[in-house]
Amino acid sequence: MKTEPLADRVVPRRRDVSFLVDGRPVRAAAGETVAAAMLAEGERCFARRRGEDRALLCNMGTCFECAVTVDDVPLTRTCMTTVRDGMDVRTGE
Amino acid sequence: MSADVYDLVVVGAGPAGLAAAIEAHAQGLRTLVIDEQRAAGGQIFRQPPKEFGEPVRSPVGYPWAADLLTDAADASGIDWWFESTVFGVLDARSTGRDDFDVLVTRPQGARRAHARRLLIATGAYDMPVAIPGWTMPGVLMAGAAQGLLKAQHVRATGPIVLTGSHPLMLIVAAQLVRAGAEVTEVAFARGMPSLRELLAAAPAIPGHVRLLVELAGCVLTLAGHGVRLSTSTVPTAITGTDGVSGVRLAKADRAWRVRGAEREVPARTVVLGYGFHASTELARQVGCSVHWDSAAGGWLVAVDERFETDVPGIFVAGEPTGVSGAEQSRAEGAAAGAAIAADLGRPVDGRRAGAVRRDLRRSRRFAAVVQRMFAPERPGLVSLATADTTICRCEAIPRSDVDGFLRANPHADTVDAVKLACRTGMGPCQGRYCESTVGGAVAAARGGTVPGAARFAAHVPIKPVPLQAYAELFDADGAETP
Repeated sequence: MKTEPLADRVVPRRRDVSFLVDGRPVRAAAGETVAAAMLAEGERCFARRRGEDRALLCNMGTCFECAVTVDDVPLTRTCMTTVRDGMDVRTGE
Repeated sequence: MSADVYDLVVVGAGPAGLAAAIEAHAQGLRTLVIDEQRAAGGQIFRQPPKEFGEPVRSPVGYPWAADLLTDAADASGIDWWFESTVFGVLDARSTGRDDFDVLVTRPQGARRAHARRLLIATGAYDMPVAIPGWTMPGVLMAGAAQGLLKAQHVRATGPIVLTGSHPLMLIVAAQLVRAGAEVTEVAFARGMPSLRELLAAAPAIPGHVRLLVELAGCVLTLAGHGVRLSTSTVPTAITGTDGVSGVRLAKADRAWRVRGAEREVPARTVVLGYGFHASTELARQVGCSVHWDSAAGGWLVAVDERFETDVPGIFVAGEPTGVSGAEQSRAEGAAAGAAIAADLGRPVDGRRAGAVRRDLRRSRRFAAVVQRMFAPERPGLVSLATADTTICRCEAIPRSDVDGFLRANPHADTVDAVKLACRTGMGPCQGRYCESTVGGAVAAARGGTVPGAARFAAHVPIKPVPLQAYAELFDADGAETP
C-alpha cells in the first residue's frame, strides 16, 4: 500500500492542532481544512465506495468524495470543514 | 422563536452574490447572504484562512476583487451565514404568505430564513469527465488543485500532468510551478487557435488585457520550466494500482476522438480541467426553467433582462445563467441587486443603472469569445469512458451497466430512466458528477443529444443533510415549525 502523501505544504507551518483520523493522531496548522491537512499528512482514503478508496476530488463541496464522519456527523465534507482540536474523523463511510 | 425575515436572501457569496448584496443593501433592503465556505469570495476569490495572517489578495486578472470583498465586509447591515448549506427552498406563497422558505443547515443546527426575494448565485463547478482510472486518489479537478494551492498553500504531489481544454489550466499549471511543484505536461484537447479565431477574439479584449497578459506570462513560466505543452491531446487512461502512477495520452482529432497511438507519461497527480458546469440544482428544485447550452456550462437557468426567473420573486445571477467568469458574474449580480430593489419599490438611480448595463455589455463580449473558443466536444469526451470506466462515482457504477440497460431497454431515453434502473445519480453528490456523462451515454446509444436525454429531477434536499435537520425544521406530522 502506498504511503506517499498526495500533497504537501508549500511552506512549513506550525502544526499545533491535533485531531484523530480513524483513531490515529494527526497534526494540522490552525485554519487548514480537514482535507488539506489529511492530504499533507499522508492520508489517502477519505470516502470508500464499494471497497474503493476515494480522496479529495473537487475541493468545493460538490462531489462528496472527501466526505467522512466527523464527531459522529456522517457525510461531512472535509474540504469545507476547518480543523479543530480533538475532532474525531472516521474515513471510509 | 420566529424565523428570520429578509427582503433578500442571496445564496452564494461569490462575485455575483456579493455585488447583488452590496447593491441591495445600499438600497436599504434587509439582506442575508448564505455560503458554504467560511468567508466571502466564492471559489474564484477564495482566500487563505484568517489564521494564516495574510492580507486579502486579488487573484490574477481581477484587480477589483479585494475591493469587492472589503465593500462587502464594510456593509455592516448585511447578515452573513457562513459554513451554511441551503438544501431547499419552499414557495410559501402557496400557503398564503408572500415569501419563500429557505432551508439551511448551519454548524449550530438547521435554520429557516424567510425571503421576500431570493437570488440564486451558486456559481459553477468543474465539469466532470469520466475516464478510466479517474476515481483513484491522486486525480484532482483543476479547481481543486488551484483552491488547495491558493487558499491552503498545499500543493499536489509531482510529477503532475494537467489535461483538459480550459485556459484556466495554464494558470493552474503556472501557479503550481511557481509554488515549486513538479509539472511535466499540460495536454490540451484542442489545437492551437487559428489566426481567424484570434482575430475574431480581438473585440473581446478591451477590459481584459490584464488577463490575457497573465495567460501569456503563464505560458512563458511553463516553457521556462521545461513543461511540455501539447495540443490535440486527450487522456485515455489514468494508470496505477493503488494510486496514480501515470496517465496515457493520445492525439485526438477536431472532435476530440482518439486518432493516434497512446504514450504513457509518469504522474503522481493528474488534473482534469475541461471547463465548468453551472450549479443549477437549487433553481431546478424550486421550479425555475432551465435550458441547455453546452459551451456555456450545460443546463442554465433562464432569466429575463432583470435576472428574474420564470418563478416570480426568484432571481439568478452569475454562472448559473451561463458560465462567463467573475467579471460578468459581478456585473450580473449588481444588475440583479438593483432590479430586486426596484421590484420591492425602491427608487431607481438612472445613472447607476446605465453604468451597470455598460459593464454587462462589455463582459458579455469577452465571455462569448471564451465560450466559443473553448467549448467542450462532448461526444468525444464521453467516448473516453470505456465499458469498465466508473460513470457514477458515488455508487461506483461502470459505463457497461448503463450501456447494458440502454441495449436491453430500447425505449429508455432519459437520464432519469437510467437512474431508476442503474442507480446513477442516487449517491451523495446527487448526480452532479454523473448527469452529463449519463446524458452523453444515452445520446451515444440513441443517436441523440445530451439535452435530449433530459436531466435528473432535483428535490429537497438538494444536498444530503442529517435527518436531525428535518427534525429541527418540521414537526413529526410534517407541518412546518415556525
